[in-house]
Amino acid sequence: MKGRSIQKRLLLAVVISQVLLALGLTCAGVLYTRRRVMASLDESLRAHATSIAALVRFPEDGSKRLLFDQSLAPKSIDGVHSDVYRVSARALGMVGQSPGWPQDFPTSCKLQNGFFSVAFRGVPYRVLCLAEVPMLDREEDQPTYALDVFYAAPNWTLRSEERAAGLYIALASLLLMSGTTALAWWGIRRSLLPLQHLADQASRISALNWEFHNPPEVELTDELRPLTTAMKTMLQRLEKSFSQQREFLGNAAHELKTPVAILKSTLQRLIQKPRSSAEYETGILQALEDMDRLEKLLHSMLRLARAEQWANGRLKRNLSTIDIASTCEAAIERLRTVAEKNGNEVQFTCERHIALPADPEDLETVWANLLENAIRYSPRESRIGVHVGLNGNDHAKVVVEDHGEGISQSDLHRIFERFHRADASRARDTGQFGLGLAISRALVEAYGGNIRAESELGRGTRMIVELPLSPE
Amino acid sequence: MRVLLIEDEIRLAENVAGSLRESAGYAVDVSHDGEQGLFLAESNPYDLVLLDLMLPLMSGVEVLKAIRAAGQHSPVLVLTARDEKDSIIDLLNAGADDYLTKPFDLGELLARCKALIRRGKGRSSPLMKIGDLEINTANHLVRRAGDNVPLTAMEYRVLEYLAHRANAVVSKTELLEHLYDYNWEKFSNVIEVYVSGLRRKLNDGSSRQLIQTLRGQGYILQG
Repeated sequence: MKGRSIQKRLLLAVVISQVLLALGLTCAGVLYTRRRVMASLDESLRAHATSIAALVRFPEDGSKRLLFDQSLAPKSIDGVHSDVYRVSARALGMVGQSPGWPQDFPTSCKLQNGFFSVAFRGVPYRVLCLAEVPMLDREEDQPTYALDVFYAAPNWTLRSEERAAGLYIALASLLLMSGTTALAWWGIRRSLLPLQHLADQASRISALNWEFHNPPEVELTDELRPLTTAMKTMLQRLEKSFSQQREFLGNAAHELKTPVAILKSTLQRLIQKPRSSAEYETGILQALEDMDRLEKLLHSMLRLARAEQWANGRLKRNLSTIDIASTCEAAIERLRTVAEKNGNEVQFTCERHIALPADPEDLETVWANLLENAIRYSPRESRIGVHVGLNGNDHAKVVVEDHGEGISQSDLHRIFERFHRADASRARDTGQFGLGLAISRALVEAYGGNIRAESELGRGTRMIVELPLSPE
Repeated sequence: MRVLLIEDEIRLAENVAGSLRESAGYAVDVSHDGEQGLFLAESNPYDLVLLDLMLPLMSGVEVLKAIRAAGQHSPVLVLTARDEKDSIIDLLNAGADDYLTKPFDLGELLARCKALIRRGKGRSSPLMKIGDLEINTANHLVRRAGDNVPLTAMEYRVLEYLAHRANAVVSKTELLEHLYDYNWEKFSNVIEVYVSGLRRKLNDGSSRQLIQTLRGQGYILQG
């Protein structure tokens, strides 16, 4: 794609508008000049025509004709080119005309009274026709004649005046334009400078440096504020998710050290001295057990990473509609032996059958994790409740309830964190990594739902999961 | 030598304790949480304390500080999964003598334990010489006047402890405290059996008694 420069485009717009303005001004100037020149010419024409009419007089001898005194005729209007005129009386015909009257001059008046322009032998003429002008000279025994005056003056000045005005305005505009364009160039450059600063700041951001210093001139620019605000929010989100990833990686590496240390120490102890084959067998079986634990941790971490990816990316998966109750029953079945070992009875109640689009394995994992926790913190021979119901019209609600020791308020919001172990008082022997609830939360969020815990110390804990019936 | 291991990972604790007992012949007490570990450390004269940092009930750093505040001078070797410089500096400044990061090598752990115990007793060489008696604490070989003296594991442990406290009177109670972990029934006549065995083996071909009995007080090893 061809690069576009805002600066150049803005400047182009300025130049084009200025050129249009200059053209408009020139046209207006020319038109105005034409009007002025015409008006003054018309004025002179009228004065000259009137004076021509005034030169018609009666003869001294009283004969019935009219005289025209050529010698008193006014000078031509522009003083250089001679005018053409002709005066006639209605009853008597032509009375007088200019000396150099060209025979073929178009004398017919288009109007009774008025001005018009006409070209004759390549020369533009402005013509005034005056009809029925009363004679100035009066004799008592003579009738009054109405005179028709035709007066034409070559219109040389008009064009030169027009040209001069046009040229003058155009030149002045050009001169001004070069100045204003330079000014606009400077202004545009200056007002686009914050963009450059913004880019400089943005280029400093890296995985190690998330700080975005908004330059003050950018902060003061109205148009850039939405951009910088958006950038800040975006950066905050990115930094958060990046640090979460880094934290996860750090935690994961840290958590992996212990099972690896166990496995390593088991194997090293085995080869520390010669042993009987029975001892080797026990040792290898132990190493396998340690390996299983390591594998389980890896599996949990991968599962969490995948679930979080779904939750963050809101990946569209092809899901078939499944029944929540059946996934609960499957999870209860999966943990039956563990529950029986602890003497816990799992009571399952289903208010109504609820179907929603989901991967049954995901939901089963969520319920199994919640149940596993409930069993771990339940006293022997206590009851654990699993309840499926509706919350409003659009959410399924699943509650897993135990009657264990409960969780303190300060721990309640931390139990969903990765690698968080609620029971700091117990030694680690059950292969718990503190990932179960984190996985559950990520899975529930991947379906657009939410999970929360309510607990009362000494009374028990309720884990509540709400899932939307249809993904929005 | 008696060692206290405070480690909450049960399987790891089993392996480390087993290895210390088998390969070094130490008596090992194991605690899986910080509070019990501190109680044991304060109530027994351990020759070495192995301390994990991430512990239930009380963190390893708190245990370490409490041990030092109580005036216990037992060497402390910290087992940690963290290897950031800052946390290591803090640990050493809080009174730890050494550290190992997980996952560690059992052989290295044993060697460090031996070195720390040695230094705790004011020695730097693994070879101890008392008169014509030579004890190599690295491979548990004992020689008298250049001749190898074959000892049982328990006899060696008694001798090594007496050697560390050479020229001082060591009571039977002190021997019991340093040679047995708290799971053992402590009968002082067990010590007498080992000491008489030691005397017999060490005096083979020589007339001078290295270990003398001070009636009512204990034993003394003199070169």
